[in-house]
Amino acid sequence: MKPMFMNAINGLAKLLNMNIPQGSIILVAGAEGTLKSGLVFSIISDYLAASDEHGLYITLEQTKESHLKNMSSLGLKKSDALHIFDYRDMRREWTDRELDMMVELTGEVIDYYKDKYERLTVFALDSLNALYALSQEADLRKSMYDFFSGLRDRDLTSFLILETPHAGTAAQISHFTRPENFLADGVIEVGIIEGPEGVKRYIRILKMRAVKHAMEKHQLIVGEDGLCILGSIY
Amino acid sequence: MVRRSIEFEEKIPIAFESQEYYKKIIERIIKVNRDIIILSELLDEQMCGYDLIKEIFSRSDVFLSQGTVYPVLYSLEEEGLLQAEFSKGDMRAKKYSLTPKGREVAHSRIDEFAKALEQVLVIIQS
Repeated sequence: MKPMFMNAINGLAKLLNMNIPQGSIILVAGAEGTLKSGLVFSIISDYLAASDEHGLYITLEQTKESHLKNMSSLGLKKSDALHIFDYRDMRREWTDRELDMMVELTGEVIDYYKDKYERLTVFALDSLNALYALSQEADLRKSMYDFFSGLRDRDLTSFLILETPHAGTAAQISHFTRPENFLADGVIEVGIIEGPEGVKRYIRILKMRAVKHAMEKHQLIVGEDGLCILGSIY
Repeated sequence: MVRRSIEFEEKIPIAFESQEYYKKIIERIIKVNRDIIILSELLDEQMCGYDLIKEIFSRSDVFLSQGTVYPVLYSLEEEGLLQAEFSKGDMRAKKYSLTPKGREVAHSRIDEFAKALEQVLVIIQS
């Protein structure tokens, strides 16, 4: 039986009633410290561990080593079929001006791994903000449209991390009207809620095309076996 | 000499009607076989990604973009064919060199590549 993303981390099936269609592009959005990277890493790694497929995780913000160290500190294990790529050496050896076509470069990196691993079906980018910051393409909006189209053409189920201001702020609301939200098939929001019982992390699915899903915020915790989604916070 | 297999400018006389078409063929061969080109470049000296791209460009007039070279370097390193170290006094550049296994594999892949090219010539000229 084909493994499903909804079973990838403990409790995700509370939010998704069916599997995410292959080739979907999912934005994972939230403020700093809301476990965006951990969530994506965990979903992909657990999915790949149960399948014979391969995945690529591109980190623009951290080195491969520091990313893996962070994931390990959360109790998250990397599947052997998950390949991590960082831009550290490129950014050390080339000036930002020489690396001006970051969106195109990222497409080339994906193509290399796709050629190398025939069953490369999953992709993650950490993060879209860093890609924007490093890109000097004259028409970034057009480049991003092409980037999203390229992910669909390659039939990759993609998780793109997007750092947003804290939930409930005007800045966050304007974030969710950005073009990538319309281009994406799904948007998963992660955040922090302060209540009488203390501070809790939550996960909520704002949009997931072709998938029945819950709308409520559910608590997201770091358990002994990695990430875990508990009941709704209401 | 092993390296001659990629010295296209010297080995192949330019007898094509269209210089542009000739360049396109060279570019295609180099891009598709960039792992062999990289192994070949590293036979004589250690280089970082930047050096490799510059060297390949100066020898062939083909620019391999960063997104096509660095993933190859990381894969070859993972396969144990390359080893990397930061050059003394310059922590910016990670220099790659061939491991003993990498040197062996480089020679064998270059030989096979040269034989394959010769075979293609036989096919299209017969």
